Amino acid sequence: MALIVFDSVSKAYSGKAVLHDFSLSIEHGQRMAILGPSGCGKTTVLRLLAGFIAPDTGSISIDDEIVANNGKILQQPEQRHIGMVFQDLALWPHLTVAENVEFGLKAQGIPKSERTERIKEILELVEMHSYLRARPAQLSGGQQQRVALARALVLQPKALLMDEPLSNLDDELNQHLRGELLRLHAQLGFTLLYVTHDRAEASEIGTRIVRMRHGSIERIVASGEEPRRQMEIKRSF
Amino acid sequence: MFARSLTVNGAFSLENYQHLLATGRSWQLLTNSLGLALTTAVICTIVGLPLGLLFAKTDLPLRRVFVLLFALPLVIPPYITAVSWAEMLAPHGLASGFFGEATARKLSGLLFGLPGCVLVLTTTFVPAVMLATMTFVRTINPRLEEAARLSARPLRVLSGITIPLIWPGVLLATTLVFLLALGEFGVPTFLRYSVFAVESFTQFTVSYNFGAATAAAVPLALLTFVILGIEWFVLRDKIQPLRPAGDDDAYLVPLRSYRVSLFVLVSILCALLVITPLMSLLLQAGSMQSYVRALHVVIDSLIRSLFIAAVGATALTVLGFFIGYLVHTRALPIWRAADAGTVLLFALPGTVIGMGLIAFWNHAATNLIYATPLIIVFGYLAQYTALTGRVTVGSLSLVPASMEEAAASAGANWMRRLGLIVLPLIRNALVVGWLIAYIFCLRDTGITMLVYPPGYDTLPVRIFTLMANGAPPLIAATCVLMIAATVLPLLGIAALMRTQRRRSWR
Amino acid sequence: MRKFWIAVAAALVIAAMIGLASCSSKRREGVVVYVSEDQVFSEPILRDFERDTGIRVKPVFDTEEAKSTGVMNRLLAEKNNPQADVYWANEPIRAEVLKQENVAAVYQSPSAEGIPANFKDPQKYWTGFSARARVLLVNNSVANKPKSISAYGDPAFNGKTVIANPLFGTTTTEIAALFIVWGDEKAKTFLTEMKRNNVKTATSNGESADFVAAGDSAFSLVDSDDAANRIKQGKAVEMIYPDQGDNEVGCFIVPNAVVLIKSGPHPEAGKKLIDYLLSAETERKLAASDAAQIPLHQGVETPAIVRKIEKIKTMQSDYAAVARKMREIEPLLKQWVGL
Repeated sequence: MALIVFDSVSKAYSGKAVLHDFSLSIEHGQRMAILGPSGCGKTTVLRLLAGFIAPDTGSISIDDEIVANNGKILQQPEQRHIGMVFQDLALWPHLTVAENVEFGLKAQGIPKSERTERIKEILELVEMHSYLRARPAQLSGGQQQRVALARALVLQPKALLMDEPLSNLDDELNQHLRGELLRLHAQLGFTLLYVTHDRAEASEIGTRIVRMRHGSIERIVASGEEPRRQMEIKRSF
Repeated sequence: MFARSLTVNGAFSLENYQHLLATGRSWQLLTNSLGLALTTAVICTIVGLPLGLLFAKTDLPLRRVFVLLFALPLVIPPYITAVSWAEMLAPHGLASGFFGEATARKLSGLLFGLPGCVLVLTTTFVPAVMLATMTFVRTINPRLEEAARLSARPLRVLSGITIPLIWPGVLLATTLVFLLALGEFGVPTFLRYSVFAVESFTQFTVSYNFGAATAAAVPLALLTFVILGIEWFVLRDKIQPLRPAGDDDAYLVPLRSYRVSLFVLVSILCALLVITPLMSLLLQAGSMQSYVRALHVVIDSLIRSLFIAAVGATALTVLGFFIGYLVHTRALPIWRAADAGTVLLFALPGTVIGMGLIAFWNHAATNLIYATPLIIVFGYLAQYTALTGRVTVGSLSLVPASMEEAAASAGANWMRRLGLIVLPLIRNALVVGWLIAYIFCLRDTGITMLVYPPGYDTLPVRIFTLMANGAPPLIAATCVLMIAATVLPLLGIAALMRTQRRRSWR
Repeated sequence: MRKFWIAVAAALVIAAMIGLASCSSKRREGVVVYVSEDQVFSEPILRDFERDTGIRVKPVFDTEEAKSTGVMNRLLAEKNNPQADVYWANEPIRAEVLKQENVAAVYQSPSAEGIPANFKDPQKYWTGFSARARVLLVNNSVANKPKSISAYGDPAFNGKTVIANPLFGTTTTEIAALFIVWGDEKAKTFLTEMKRNNVKTATSNGESADFVAAGDSAFSLVDSDDAANRIKQGKAVEMIYPDQGDNEVGCFIVPNAVVLIKSGPHPEAGKKLIDYLLSAETERKLAASDAAQIPLHQGVETPAIVRKIEKIKTMQSDYAAVARKMREIEPLLKQWVGL
């Protein structure tokens, strides 16, 4: 049974079709990368799944429950247990690292003792436990990334969505954080939906890669197949 | 003016200040002023913040209509609002019709005093906080709220993320309301509540005592400095740089089961604060005949008002731009003085500025300015530059420094950079600044009453003089005309702006 | 962008043009008058003057007493470079102040013939016309109607009286006049007794009149035009001229006063305006209007509600002395009010 199912989902903005007849299913624990150029609709997929927008037609289900269909949001974002790391990270500037991570736990009514425990755990996992009282503005790019990850993962989400999270970082940091992400995935086993425009990144992160173009899926490949095609395209230049 | 306050009969003396400080009355006045300003500011925030959030972030029906209605009192001179409440609670007004004369009389008793002042000033200034809330809410990075929405219900998102992010901006608006309420003169005078601003004029009228009148204004000035100091200190780095609104889906919190009850609540509030006094004015004015008569009586001052307000607003926008630019770039060492100076003048009662204007400009050599409407414009420039200056500063903070730097490295000198790069980028903000300046110029009474050249009275002044002994229906009709004169051009300009924007989209 | 600059430049040019235009019009024929009399009454007279003489009138009007920033103050502030030619005061004290402050000029108008001497400045700095009387406005429900202002101290009226704020306007003037006519002792006693009798303070004569008309107060000292106004409105009130008995002080009269401003821009036109205002015809108009003011020329046609001056026992007041006394008793009055 798939965790997430997109069934013929279409979405348009101001008359312009952004997603067209999009169908996809994602299994539990799978690492799926969505790859495509800007404007192909990949961010829209994430936002539909998170519940910020509703599909015009088609339906989306999580864990066998239809959460949105035909213009209606049936399950609000806070009810879906989905975690997300945004492209600009969206760390709350007025809260400390600890408070950023704690916010969701508090909102879900988790008692204080358990909150403290889980915050400590997750921050240790991302190696940010000595920055509890720091504010996001005081952290480096890589550190902010890790806090954003921690914030999303502390809620033990059904799925983690990541929207080009590493695109603003330098190569070395990028590599390092990719490795971190994979390590965390191995440890925690969450379902991952990772959006990127970088082929290398997609291959490394995703076990399956969904290639999108102009709002539709071009093809879905298993990660191993990509590098060869990359090399071919490079040669033709 | 300050020098005047330090002399008695031509000799240096602190007598004016001694007198001010010695009498218990001064402390009473100060307490009254502070009390009124503080109460008004607090209530405006308590009411304005939720309203702003409701209108900007939820799916409340008829939001846009409510915004327009609640914003209406902001463009009406506060004393007209006071007059309309007085009419309503008068022996034969609306209220006595509904609730009986005894209750109306009791309410009328409450109106003339602190409660009435708070009511009128709150009605006038709530939209300031409301609009500030709406503006700052729209500039929050939507991702910040979305990140919270993944785990928290809408109310939690509001309280945990939205409000903490906008509170510095809202606090600015609250401070502005506080200062405006502090310097307000027309309403407390009409509603017979003694505050410092009124004291200035009483001194003037009773004993023709310039020195004492200015001395009475000094505490207000000092208070302003203190408030500004606090504002600067507390808010220094807290205001998030405004992010220009993007074209993302505006997320609206669905009110669901609360929709109806909140709609009813807001409607009642609107009816109470805005519609009732307006209705009272309209009813008091009565038939078309009153309006025709009113128009006949005041048409000349109406035209003058519109004209001088437009000229004043333009001059203010220009001066405000240069001062704002100076403050933003800190190009010259006097930038701090310029900023503080404009704000100080803004907080001073208009009549004190008027007195200063007379003292400074009334000489044969400067008749070109003093004996002409230009003196009114000068008065506006003195009092209101802080507004357009601050708007400019705010909008310039949205323009990355790199824009100007790019132009500089391309060889453009200061004037070219200003004219070809900076101005176009902040053009919309300048228009907003112009509109704000227009409103304030149009409703100004304090300065205009003192310096208008003979035969050149403006509409607000005319209303004030008519109030002395005009027939109530005439006064009410004139007030309605004043409201129309303020609102209609604004609507026109707003409509123009919208069509322009639509055109540029295509 | 260029359009923006052009618009700005155009606006500034237009502003300058208005300025210049207005400035030059000042040089043309016209007269500038600052007016403390209510605009509703004074404006028609000024329009008539314009029509009859062809001289353009440029007025500056005053606002209600207590909230007035005051044309008086403007006159004083502009002393070194007067903008006004004439000041139309609604009571003579302000005219006296102008004389004392060296803002007034001497002018003996031919129209002043026939106005009793005690309503004119002996040095001819100001002339009175169209007066109000300080009267008692009494609610019809009062059984024993008061005949004297000392009724303010009458225990029978404890808590039932009202008076306009003695710091402003005609009330101040009258109290100062009482200090002169009665002497300091008796006048102070009068004030104390009034306070002890729990008199209410209103902000204006108009407001006091309204309190009486509404039945909230038994009577009040007001100006005769406020009283006439309430009677015309059909309120259940009566106007009583106080202290008319043989040994009594008489009724205090507050005439309008007109002053020629020293070094004003159009002195000749100013004199013509003064002549016009002081004429019997103007007094007739003001008597007939809602102002219901009492002509000081004898034999002027008046409506029934306006008693002729020759029929009133008036308080003998030297307005110059009253003006000086006003300044003297100011601290006392402030204390009385609670300032």
